Amino acid sequence: MQTKPSDLGLVARVTDLTKTYGSGPAAVTALDGVSLGVRRGEFTAIMGPSGSGKSTLMHIMAGLDSPTTGRVWIGDEEITGMGDAALTLIRRRRVGFVFQAFNLVPTLDVEANVTFPFELDGRRPNTTERAWIDSLIDSLGLRPRLRHRPAELSGGQQQRVAIARALGARPALVFADEPTGNLDSRTSREVLALLATAAAEYGQGIVMVTHDPVAASHADRIVVVNDGRIVADEGRLTAAAASELVLGLEAAR
Amino acid sequence: MRTRLRGHAATVLVAALSAAFGVVLLGIVEVLTIAANANPVVGDLGSAGIMLAILAYVFMAIAIYVAAIVTTNTVATIVAGRIREIALVRLLGASARGERLRIAREGLSAGVLGAVIGTAAAWLLLAMLVLVGEGTGLLPAGPTYAFVTGQMAIPVVAVVLTTWLAAWVGSRRVLSVTPVQALGAAVPTASEALRRGRRGAAWAIEAVGVVLLLLGAALGQLTPLGVLIGIVGGICSFTGIMIGAPLLIPPVLALVGRLFGRDPAAVLGTRNTLRHPERSARAAIGLVIGVALVTMFVVAGMTANEIVMQRMAAEWGTTAPLDSTLGTMMSILAFLVGFSGVIAAVGLVNTLTVGVLQRTREFGLVRALGLSRGQLRRTISVEAVQLAVTAVVVGFVLGIVYGWLGAESMFGSSQVNGLVAPVVPWVLVLGVVVVAGVLALAGSLIPARRAMRLVPVEALAVE
Repeated sequence: MQTKPSDLGLVARVTDLTKTYGSGPAAVTALDGVSLGVRRGEFTAIMGPSGSGKSTLMHIMAGLDSPTTGRVWIGDEEITGMGDAALTLIRRRRVGFVFQAFNLVPTLDVEANVTFPFELDGRRPNTTERAWIDSLIDSLGLRPRLRHRPAELSGGQQQRVAIARALGARPALVFADEPTGNLDSRTSREVLALLATAAAEYGQGIVMVTHDPVAASHADRIVVVNDGRIVADEGRLTAAAASELVLGLEAAR
Repeated sequence: MRTRLRGHAATVLVAALSAAFGVVLLGIVEVLTIAANANPVVGDLGSAGIMLAILAYVFMAIAIYVAAIVTTNTVATIVAGRIREIALVRLLGASARGERLRIAREGLSAGVLGAVIGTAAAWLLLAMLVLVGEGTGLLPAGPTYAFVTGQMAIPVVAVVLTTWLAAWVGSRRVLSVTPVQALGAAVPTASEALRRGRRGAAWAIEAVGVVLLLLGAALGQLTPLGVLIGIVGGICSFTGIMIGAPLLIPPVLALVGRLFGRDPAAVLGTRNTLRHPERSARAAIGLVIGVALVTMFVVAGMTANEIVMQRMAAEWGTTAPLDSTLGTMMSILAFLVGFSGVIAAVGLVNTLTVGVLQRTREFGLVRALGLSRGQLRRTISVEAVQLAVTAVVVGFVLGIVYGWLGAESMFGSSQVNGLVAPVVPWVLVLGVVVVAGVLALAGSLIPARRAMRLVPVEALAVE
C-alpha cells in the first residue's frame, strides 16, 4: 500500500515539481525538481529573492497554477491534472487565501467577505461554524466594522478581514502571499502573530511566501528557494539569521 | 500626434450605425420619389413627399441624438479606465486641456471612420433594396434609381460633428485627474458622487418640465396648441431625468436586483451595478431613451386613436375601421425609433465589456477563492440583464407618461367623456422586455467569455 500524505502528518505535499514557461531556447525554468511537505499545525515561510520561483511554488501548491511535471496533493487528494471545476471546489472548500493587497471583494461588506466561501457553496455557516466565525470576528476586533465596505478600512483592518475569511471555513491549509507587504511594522507583527496562533492552536497548516526576514522569523520553519530549487530548509530562526541565509545566496552567486 | 482608436470600437460602430440609418432613410425617400415620378398616375409625390422627408429627418435626428448620448458615455468610460495613464502623462508635464483635446481628437477620428463605413454600408444596402424591388416588381422598371443625393451629406456631417462633440463632453473628467494619481498604489475606486450643483440643476429642470407638461395637457383640453407647451415641457423634463439619472436609476436597479435572489453569483452581479451609480446610469440611459421614445410614440398614437374613436362613436354612433392602418403606421414608427434602441444596446454592451476589463483583478480574486467559471459567467449575465430590465422599466414608465400627456395636449379638446386613460400596448411591452433581455444576455457573452478565460494567478497580478 502506498503511503498517504496524511500518514506522514502532511496537509500539503509536492514531489519533483518542475515548471517551465515558454519552449525552445526562450524557455524559462521557474521550478526545477522541488519536493516539499507541509505538516498539520506548522507555520512555514517560503523565502527567496524576487524571481526565485517562490510564488510559482505557492500557486501550484494552492491549485492556482499547474506544474509542467511532478505531483501535487492537498490533504490526501492528488490535484495534479485536475480540471478547472474540480480545482475550484478544492480552493473553495479546502484552502484559505490571504494576499498582499486587493484581498476583499469591494462590493461586499466585512461580514459578507468573511462568509464568502460559504456563500459560494450556496449555504450558510451552521451553528458551530457560526460560533467559530463570531469568535474570530471578536478576537480580530472586527465586530464594530461588520457593515463597512473594504474601501472604508485601513490596510491592517483589510488584512484582518482576509485572515478571518481564510480561517473561517477551517481549511486545513492557508496560503499567505506577502501578507504583510503593505503594512506598517506594528500591524505586521499583529497579523503574523495571528497566523502563528492559527497554526499552533487550530492545527492549520500555513504557508507564507515572503521576502521579509522579520516576517519569516515568526514561522516554525523557513524554506529558502533560489533559482527554482529549495536551497535551505531550516527550523525557527531569528530575523538576523533568516536574513543571513538569504544574503548568503546573493553572495554565493 | 498620438491619436489612437484603441477602445473606440464602440464609438466607430455607433457612428456607423447612425450614419447608415440616416443615409438609408434619405435614400428610400429618393427611391420612392423616383418611382412615383415614373408612374403617370401618381406623378409628383407633392406634399406626401415633403412629409416623408420630414419624417426621415425626425427619425434621423432621434438616432443621432441617442448615438451622441451613447458616445458621451462610452468616452467617459474609456477615460475612467485610463486614469492612471492620464495621470502619468500629466506627471510628465502634459496639460489637462491638451489631454482632453487629444481624446476629443480620437473621437473625431472615430466619427469620421464610422461615418465612412456607415455610408458605404448604406449605399450597399440601398443598391440591394433597389435590385430586390425591381426584381419583385415592387418598383416600376424603367427609371434609373440613382439614390445618392447631396442631402446625404447632412447625416454624415452631423454624425461626425456630434461624435466629436460627444467625445469632448464625455472627456471632462480628464480635467480632474491629478498627476499624483499616477503614484498611488490604490485602484481608483472613487465613487463618483453626484455633485450637489448637479442634483439641484436636475431637480429644477425637472420641476419646470413637469409644470409645463401638465400645463400643456390642461391647455390641450381647450386647444390642440397645448402640445407646443407640452413639447417644451417634455424636453425640459427629459433633460432633467438625464442629468439626474445617477439618482433615479440606482433605486430601480436595487429593486430589480432583488428579483435575482441570493445566489452568490447574482449578488456579486447586482451589487456591482450599485457600486458605480454613475457608470450604471451611463450604461442604462441610452436604452432608457430608446425605449421611452418607442413607447411614447405608440402610446400617444393609440391614446389619440382612442379619443378620436370615442368622439366618432358619440357623434355618428359608429366607429370607422381606422385601426388597421393606424396599427401598421404605429409598427413602422416603432421600428424606426427602435433603431435607436439598437444603438443604445451597443452602448450597454460596451460599458459591460469595459467594466469586465477594469475588474480583472477582482475576478482573479473571486476565482482564487472558489467562484467557478459558470458562476462567474452568471455574475456577468445577471449584471447585464439587471441593467437592461431596469432601463426598459424606467423607459416604459417615462414613455407612457409622455405619450399620454402628449395625446392629451394635442387631442384633449376633442374628448367627449373627459380624460381618456393611456392606452398601453402590452404586447409591445412584453416584446421589448424580452428583446432587451435577450440582447443583454447575448451582449454579455462577449465580456463573459473574456472573463472566463482569465487565469486567476495572472488576473491577480494585474495592476
